[in-house]
Amino acid sequence: MKGFVAFFEKEVRELVRTKRLMILLAVFVIVGIMNPAVAKLTPKLFELMADELSEQGIVLGEVKVTALDSWTQFVKNMPMALIVMLIMFGGIYTSEYTKGTLIPLLTKGLSRGSVVLSKLAAMLLTWSAGLWLCYGITYFYSDWYWDNSAVNRLGFACFCWWLFGVLMICCIVFFSSFAGSGAQVLLGCGAVYFAMTMAGLYSRAKEYLPTRLCDSAPLYKGELVPSDYTAAAVITAAISAVLVLAALPLTHRRQV
Amino acid sequence: MNVLEVKEIHKSFGSKKVLDGVSFSVPENCVFGFIGRNGAGKTTTMRAVLGLLETDGGEIDVCGQRVSYGNTPTNGCIGYLPDVPEFYGYMNAREYLALCGRITGMDRGDVKKRSSELLELVGLDKESHRIKGYSRGMKQRLGIAQALINRPKLLILDEPTSALDPVGRKEILDIISAAKEQTSVIFSTHILSDVERICSRVAFLEGGKTAFEGGIDEIRAMKGDTALELSLAMSSDTDKLKAAFPAAELREGKLIFPKASDSDCSELMAFLAAQNIPITRLERHESDLEDIFMEVIGK
Ligand SMILES: Nc1ncnc2c1ncn2[C@@H]1O[C@H](COP(=O)(O)OP(=O)(O)OP(=O)(O)O)[C@@H](O)[C@H]1O
Ligand SMILES: [Mg+2]
Repeated sequence: MKGFVAFFEKEVRELVRTKRLMILLAVFVIVGIMNPAVAKLTPKLFELMADELSEQGIVLGEVKVTALDSWTQFVKNMPMALIVMLIMFGGIYTSEYTKGTLIPLLTKGLSRGSVVLSKLAAMLLTWSAGLWLCYGITYFYSDWYWDNSAVNRLGFACFCWWLFGVLMICCIVFFSSFAGSGAQVLLGCGAVYFAMTMAGLYSRAKEYLPTRLCDSAPLYKGELVPSDYTAAAVITAAISAVLVLAALPLTHRRQV
Repeated sequence: MNVLEVKEIHKSFGSKKVLDGVSFSVPENCVFGFIGRNGAGKTTTMRAVLGLLETDGGEIDVCGQRVSYGNTPTNGCIGYLPDVPEFYGYMNAREYLALCGRITGMDRGDVKKRSSELLELVGLDKESHRIKGYSRGMKQRLGIAQALINRPKLLILDEPTSALDPVGRKEILDIISAAKEQTSVIFSTHILSDVERICSRVAFLEGGKTAFEGGIDEIRAMKGDTALELSLAMSSDTDKLKAAFPAAELREGKLIFPKASDSDCSELMAFLAAQNIPITRLERHESDLEDIFMEVIGK
């Protein structure tokens, strides 16, 4: 436990000093501001283009923007923020294994389990802070310009995103227990996502797949209720736990 | 009790046999020199002791506890300096030592006191910059400080003096000698004079086996045949001496008396005095570790 705490502190210090935390939080803040801004600017953009479009025979009616447009942007932009984060964290384990920076610490009795778990904790903390920061900013501006009450289940939809991000982070933990480089880890994460998308082509499986958690639009519109997401959420949580539990013994066997 | 016990360890990398039955033991309060050519397997053996490497066979005990690969609680009583130590560049030395200390379960106050002590010992106390800018020698010094932080029972140093300037080398050797009071030290090196200076036991690694293991005095005894070298002022006296000492050989104008014991030496001196033979030089030539090393590795 002492090792875990000490190493976790080191992780946080690393995130701060290597400016990774700052960059990531900046990305989440920018996305948070962009969501309502894009929604707000869309009609203006159409107005500007209206003349050109009418020349081509397209006539636009009045574009009415609501809070839903802002939240639709949230769903559109969140994958980008998540991917930036995954790229930043892809080498969090493997770079230490290849550089040999863990050796002095492991030979002082730091357990490999502590290494795995404290890095996981640091990643989860960053993801949680970033996601909810982004959510908070979008929430504030959407309510300021329009009215959030027109959109349903905002908090729950964001929780689903959080859970999906947790799964991807656990993928990093898992692949890092045997992959040789950060690029290989990211490749593994990409393969998992691709597999889920392919499986999603069968409409019957859709309901149970983690990718379901990213599909917030029906929740916002009230077409689906949270209980429709329960299966996917439980499965995602279970897979995440299994990935971490599998990573522990694999890391014990790993050559460092 | 032996702090470290290595029994018949084997290790191959692919088809390449690196360790083929290495055995040795390190008693308490002993500085143990680990000698071998480049690629003999010194680093490999040390990594096996630390549980960083899976062996193909054999047993390793540290402080009476069996070492297992991967999950290695025995590391709690070991301090290790890797051959090329790597640290976190964004920390300074004090922060790094604090991290190391806290991992071993020391409390903050103790860590602080011990870090200051050690940084002064290795000469990094005035260094407030981050490790990123350290030279290799400075990293090695920090490496020694981090290895000592938790007052380990066994200190494993892989070529601790390889990147150090001559003054630094002497300082570090003094630190190692002083550390002997509290711990056992095992260190690998290519500098045999260092071994002779501070080690009480040595092991030679050759062909994947411990070719020799023993106390430094055993080595001296094994090669007790110190030779005497005599240079005469007048070469005309040579025949007189050869007649009196048939074992003497003439080589490059010098008379060599191989395998001369202490009494042989005094006998010779008495003869020289009695006959009033003037000399320019009389030297006892002890065979050193290098000769023994050459002999052990069969060169
Ligand atoms: N991970 C590895 N994979 C393949 N071969 C290895 C590996 N590690 C070591 N070896 C081989 O094992 C042999 C012993 O290496 P080791 O580093 O133990 O030598 P050493 O005695 O420490 O040498 P030096 O005096 O140069 O430090 C070398 O021939 C090396 O090629
Ligand atoms: Mg070596």
